[in-house]
Amino acid sequence: MKRARNKAIAAVLVCLLIMLLLGGCWDNKDINHRSLPIVMGIAKRESQYLVVLQIPEPGLGATKIRLVEETGTTISEIVDRISKNMESQIDLLHLKVVLFEKGYAEEGVNDSVETFMRAHSLSPKTMTAICDEPINLFFRNIDSFNKNNGTILINFFEKNAGWNPHISADRVWELFRSIHSYTRDTVIPIVRSGTGTVIESNGSGVIRGGKLVERLTSDQTLLINMFNGISAKGKIEVMDHATVEILSSSIRRRGSIEDGHPVVKGRISLKVSLIETRGQPSQQQIKKEVEALLSDRFDAMLKKLKAHQADVLGAGQLFRTQYSRDQLERWRTDYFPSLNVDIKFDTVIQNTGKLKADA
Amino acid sequence: MVKNAQVISMYLLIHSGLIFFLYPADIIESTEVGHWIPILTGFAIHAAVMFVYLKGLRLADGQSVLDLFSSAGRTWSALLLAPVFVYLTMVLVITARAYSEIVNLLFLENTPLWATMALLLGVSAYVASLGIESIMRSGLLLFGLSLPFAVFVLATSFQNVDWHYLLPSIDRASASFSFLFGVPFLRSLFAFGGGFLFLGFIQPSLDYSHRRLLMSSLILLPLFLISVYVPLLTFGQNTSATFLFPFLMATDTVDVDYLIFERTTLFFMLSMFVFVLVFMAIVTWQTVRIATHFVNLPFKPAVMIWTCATFIACTKIEDWQQVERLLGWNTYFRLYAMFVIPAATLAIGIRYARKGDNTNEARAQ
Amino acid sequence: MRMIKELEARSETDSDLLFQHIRLAGQPTIFIAFRSLIDLPATLNDLYQRAAWVADQPERGSLGEEITEPEEEALLALLLGGQALLWHENGNRFASLTPIAKSLSRSIESPTTENVLRGSISAFVEDIDTNIGLIRKHEPSGSLHTRDFRLGSSGQKRVSFLYKEGVIDAKLKESITQRLVQNAERDAGDLQQLASLLGFPRWTLVTKFNTSELPQEAETALNEGKAVLLLERMPFAIILPSLMWDMFAVQNDRNFPAIFMMLIRFLRMLAVLTNIIIPGLYVALVSVNPDVLRIEMALTIAKSRVDVPYPSLVETLLLLFILELTLEASIRLPKSIGPTVTMVGGIILGQAVVSAKLVSNLLIIILAATSISSSVVVGFQNSFSIRLFKYLLLVLSAMYGVIGLVAGLVVICAYLASVTSFGIPYLELYKPGRKSNG
Repeated sequence: MKRARNKAIAAVLVCLLIMLLLGGCWDNKDINHRSLPIVMGIAKRESQYLVVLQIPEPGLGATKIRLVEETGTTISEIVDRISKNMESQIDLLHLKVVLFEKGYAEEGVNDSVETFMRAHSLSPKTMTAICDEPINLFFRNIDSFNKNNGTILINFFEKNAGWNPHISADRVWELFRSIHSYTRDTVIPIVRSGTGTVIESNGSGVIRGGKLVERLTSDQTLLINMFNGISAKGKIEVMDHATVEILSSSIRRRGSIEDGHPVVKGRISLKVSLIETRGQPSQQQIKKEVEALLSDRFDAMLKKLKAHQADVLGAGQLFRTQYSRDQLERWRTDYFPSLNVDIKFDTVIQNTGKLKADA
Repeated sequence: MVKNAQVISMYLLIHSGLIFFLYPADIIESTEVGHWIPILTGFAIHAAVMFVYLKGLRLADGQSVLDLFSSAGRTWSALLLAPVFVYLTMVLVITARAYSEIVNLLFLENTPLWATMALLLGVSAYVASLGIESIMRSGLLLFGLSLPFAVFVLATSFQNVDWHYLLPSIDRASASFSFLFGVPFLRSLFAFGGGFLFLGFIQPSLDYSHRRLLMSSLILLPLFLISVYVPLLTFGQNTSATFLFPFLMATDTVDVDYLIFERTTLFFMLSMFVFVLVFMAIVTWQTVRIATHFVNLPFKPAVMIWTCATFIACTKIEDWQQVERLLGWNTYFRLYAMFVIPAATLAIGIRYARKGDNTNEARAQ
Repeated sequence: MRMIKELEARSETDSDLLFQHIRLAGQPTIFIAFRSLIDLPATLNDLYQRAAWVADQPERGSLGEEITEPEEEALLALLLGGQALLWHENGNRFASLTPIAKSLSRSIESPTTENVLRGSISAFVEDIDTNIGLIRKHEPSGSLHTRDFRLGSSGQKRVSFLYKEGVIDAKLKESITQRLVQNAERDAGDLQQLASLLGFPRWTLVTKFNTSELPQEAETALNEGKAVLLLERMPFAIILPSLMWDMFAVQNDRNFPAIFMMLIRFLRMLAVLTNIIIPGLYVALVSVNPDVLRIEMALTIAKSRVDVPYPSLVETLLLLFILELTLEASIRLPKSIGPTVTMVGGIILGQAVVSAKLVSNLLIIILAATSISSSVVVGFQNSFSIRLFKYLLLVLSAMYGVIGLVAGLVVICAYLASVTSFGIPYLELYKPGRKSNG
């Protein structure tokens, strides 16, 4: 009796399972039937978005790269349309880099950033960059360069591949944070297609409230990376008498209020290695020169930033206890322009290369 | 049988399953500065209520809450337990609905919601129908299996933090406890409101050391803090207030080079999913246990019927707003389950203990 | 007189039933026995000597045991049990005696299904007394007890129940004894029958018996408070209850340094997880959630799947089916042909199936890992369970992706947690004298 009932239950369960199996693979789409774009370029031309997708197409032998272009009123609409027209489904989950055309960045990228954060199909870790030339031109140029390496643009930004401290690295979530934050703006790299190399770094852009407001040179980007505590290893600094390589840098900084003005006092310690000398400079002289050079650059940069009220240094973060939230809300407009930064550079020549110092 | 490890791991598992989803958003919404104050307040309430509950249970000599309340009369126990029954049912509906929404949002774009809910409810009903001892044992096994992943994600989630966001630690609004009666704070109690009730149901089949359990609740404190502070330190107050699931967002920003998987959120979601399944199983079990205590029903069919009913209720909820409204209504029942039940347990427990003493004395005379 | 005629009539259908007319101490006697079960010349030789010895001094008693009320059934049962009968013509008396038995068992050899790297390599044989003797050699302790039961409708199948007094759980001992006594008339020719005799449910996915060919495993089990059953003509010990931990640990591990022991056991656990999870994970990642893979990995997989005609679930099921066939075939075949199947199945088929674009070559790697890891667990009977469980995960993964995979794991864990034998949960870590958690 009981056994018969068990059998009946088992039979019903098996039937249900089969039914589910037959009808139940809603998300089942094999990986080779999906297109996985890795780079997206966005431009805005007369209130119409132009989206370019770079899609690697795995085939027998080498992976080919495919470029797809489409215009429309919203980004998701464009992606849908591309997906409809293509023979496989577009899956944006693997998108690695988003390129904003310069014009669009100047207008403000808030909308697309919000789309990226809201849609679950896009990773907030996607890297962002600004493209210094018309976006379709850029893609066509790099396409002619690399026919079979789809990941070249990613590698340019990967910390363990092609990134170097002259390039700022910024992700979509950091951009989103800077849009919502009271005290923090951000820099994103500016690139263009190169002549000898595939991509050419062209300094970086200061984004304030989602808009591109100012450009910084790569030397200045290096300083920002240093100030934000990102180790600036590998940098070669050319001066009148010598070239040094920065081995490591570290920073200590404190914020305080003096006479109603915010002041940041800090000390950046650099460890450098001597690479090249011209003439016979003493070590003391080289140190002094490095420090003076960096100080000058820093001051010049700060002046630029103050003019645009863009706190890419995140200096406002240091005043979270000194100012109330209401005051912090006005940090960029009321306090940042009067900020005094007193940064001392401390250089240690850790070694002199494979030659003796006075050789 | 003394099963400390099972009970403690079940306790931790249930709560960590609940902490990391809705809780951070509620706390971040409840105050702008000094989030540790609502967290600690919530935790203190939790610990106090649990202490009272366990004290009452100890006085009752390892009886279950059901038997204990029944000693005060059938009507009384029915009146006391009816809101708990409603509360647990609502919890089940909300959890099933909310988590299938999350799963669909993160992993299964095209799968219909009912299919995900069917999976969640089906698995938890199966686990629940095996009985409490099996639930507890599988809880321990699953806890052991998913712990490494959860710990890994918790450790890596600190990758992008900016410690400056820790400051300021307090301001007038948070120091005045003005958040206490705000909706977000009351809603945040969902994370630890009803989870501990199961402790009163598992006796006498499983016994455990009450002191160790209270000690182990301290492990939850860092989890509460991490769940709120990791998104805060990564994004800052303003940005994290815009997210529905801040902690998930924070883990989504983590980049680990040496895994073949892109998103560490995956591991986290999966281990939390396991925890939630077990939580739903034990809630189902409790609900059906209350029902079968008053109505004469065989256990397994009751579980099946109850799950089907829950499933139908879940499919009736159309959007996220209704889930939030349900969470709002649930607040009253939650407060009842959090405060009245432990208090009643203590009161009846004291009465029971006194009666026990009296009879002992009477016997001695 | 009538009885001996009836027995003689039986020899027509039982050609090995022997009736030998002999004279013992001058008395005409018939010696009756199954020729196939006894060593005839030696027995007769011994019989003559004893008869002469008895005849010298009649007070020394008689030969063998007198049977007072002979009945055909009882006599036949004695004969089948390996005894010999004597029929004294004078007085029409029957007596039974123990002949010198023919050795019908293998000698003690090394185990055939369990390899031992370090440790004693003698294995159980078909003879139950030899087996008990082996265990007694390993565990010369006064508290080791053996109880014999006769099972089966003819009451001839001998089962020995071994336990260690003071270590074994009293409830366990009680319930096993009770079942064996109660169901004594039922057959126990195979382990399924034994399982139903012991009251285990028929539809179980986990074997309730842990079996071992090695006396030292039996010894360990006894010392852990488990019960050991020895079945006549079964060359292995049946250890009750079977626990999950038995999948990962053998006594032999203790012959290695502790740290290696732990690592080996950890490896086995990983293997079980790998085996259950990997095929499902492949389907989940390829078909439902490719987003969680790194882009490089995703592209590689996509490349390897170009031109494969079916969805990954069908692809995986197809190859798993062939894999199961290979496994089963290699059990059936004689040892000398076995490697051929392996080669055909593994190398030729694997290579051909990939180059014919029927499956992706990543899947071949996945399935190789699966089949290897399924054999890592201790005890062949346990590998069946995990081989089966992976299909559940496979189906759920195809429907729900990684979430389905995890839900399936929860179901499996809950199932394992619900299995108990004689009140002892499958997940329990069994230790003598201590009720442990888990």
